[in-house]
Amino acid sequence: MELTFSEVAKSFGDLNVIDHFNTTIRTGEIVALLGPSGCGKSTLLHMLAGLQTPSTGTLTAGGKRIEKPSPRRTLVFQEHALYPWLTLAGNVALALEFQNTPKQTAFAEAQKWLAKVELSGFEHYYPHQVSGGMRQRCALARAFIARPEVLLLDEPFGALDALTRMTLQSVLKDLIEEERPTVVLVTHDVDEALYLADRVLVFSNRPATVLREIELGHIPKTHDLSAFADIRRDVLNKLGIDTDTASAHAEETGETV
Amino acid sequence: MSNSQTMGVATKRAYVVAIAFILFFWQVAAWFLPDFLMPDVHTAILRLWEELNSAEFYEGLGNSMTRLGAGYGAALFFGILLGLVGGTINAVRSPLKAAIIILQSIPSIAWVPLFLILMGFGNLPIIVVVAIGAFFPTALSVMNATESVEKVHISAARVMGASKAQMLKRVYFPAVTPELITGAQLAFGNAWRALISAEMIVGFSAGLGKSLAYSGEIADMTGVMTNILVIAILAAVIDQVILERIKHRLLRYQYL
Repeated sequence: MELTFSEVAKSFGDLNVIDHFNTTIRTGEIVALLGPSGCGKSTLLHMLAGLQTPSTGTLTAGGKRIEKPSPRRTLVFQEHALYPWLTLAGNVALALEFQNTPKQTAFAEAQKWLAKVELSGFEHYYPHQVSGGMRQRCALARAFIARPEVLLLDEPFGALDALTRMTLQSVLKDLIEEERPTVVLVTHDVDEALYLADRVLVFSNRPATVLREIELGHIPKTHDLSAFADIRRDVLNKLGIDTDTASAHAEETGETV
Repeated sequence: MSNSQTMGVATKRAYVVAIAFILFFWQVAAWFLPDFLMPDVHTAILRLWEELNSAEFYEGLGNSMTRLGAGYGAALFFGILLGLVGGTINAVRSPLKAAIIILQSIPSIAWVPLFLILMGFGNLPIIVVVAIGAFFPTALSVMNATESVEKVHISAARVMGASKAQMLKRVYFPAVTPELITGAQLAFGNAWRALISAEMIVGFSAGLGKSLAYSGEIADMTGVMTNILVIAILAAVIDQVILERIKHRLLRYQYL
């Protein structure tokens, strides 16, 4: 499902978060919105989900104006979005139950999806009984079970430790390759963006403007991102992070370069 | 579910100690006061045993429980409904909350004269007074809990395509259940006090409160203490056994 932003602006009171943003996301494309925390990229994502409305401009999905949330465009939140009163299976099944699928069918389907994210045997556990990584696996299963055409991810692994995060990125990549939804990923992790996305939009601080657009194409990637070292360095520089070893060395010794 | 699961051993021991303590003070008072002013504990317990074998006692108990059930049930129903509505609709919330805070400061028993004249001498004024006592804590706890339902839980349901009814039933209701139960236990205390005092004042047909008031009128202190004993035991059983059990059933996920 093609997604478009045209002249989208959003302000909260006097605070200008997004200013005249335009882009088109093609069907099946995986786009990462990369930028510092609080730069407005999450707002863009929530507008795609239909949870927020732009102050001016329009967003469309499949040619139709986005006005309210739809299960065809589902969103994975950073954390705490599972219901504590439901088991993992109950949480995943709920996505189908909201579509009026009979309870039994929904639970059978939930079992399948929990198996895909390697959570078999944990169906009857409650979210607080499992680790943060397992909770996010469950959240992924809940997002994919309804077969969305658009998958929106809001810093989905931001609260996890580095190793768990990389494992989950692989799980997500496999699921995306299998289901082929259009994906918009919001992240502040450069490696995550490079690993998962076909295209990366690097954002400045508020109001969010695109500093750089990187077309990676749909190429097979592994967690070894050494082939992208130049791009990575450039992105980090754009985000104001020092990657120049010569100047770092110079600072240490007090020399000027 | 057995009682040992719903109530810890330490809590149980605390209750036994507390009961022994209370009975001990009663007995000490009975030793110092003449029998017609303060009966011995065992005299009251013997009377209780007699009562348990009389049809009259069960008639009164049945009447009281019916009034409690009707009043408390209605209060829970309307309290939950209004709490959810007030908590989800911003325009209604503040005025409704203010109204509840003003109205709940009036002791529910103060409404008796009004309702007696308005509704006539019968069960209805007692039931309404019980309902008023229980309604406010229920509505207030549900409203406060509804307001503080996590935004991400609501957003998640919206992106999964939940309808308004599904949202209320599958998200709001389970989210407010912990606070609702606390509110319902508070409401039960209010309902119970309102019931006994209303029955004492109104004195319509048999009932626990009426039986207590009548014993007082004929200066039957054994009867008074026996009735107080019944009132205390029933309240403890309903609150600590029945309501606690329902709480553990509904909030099972929190105890794992």
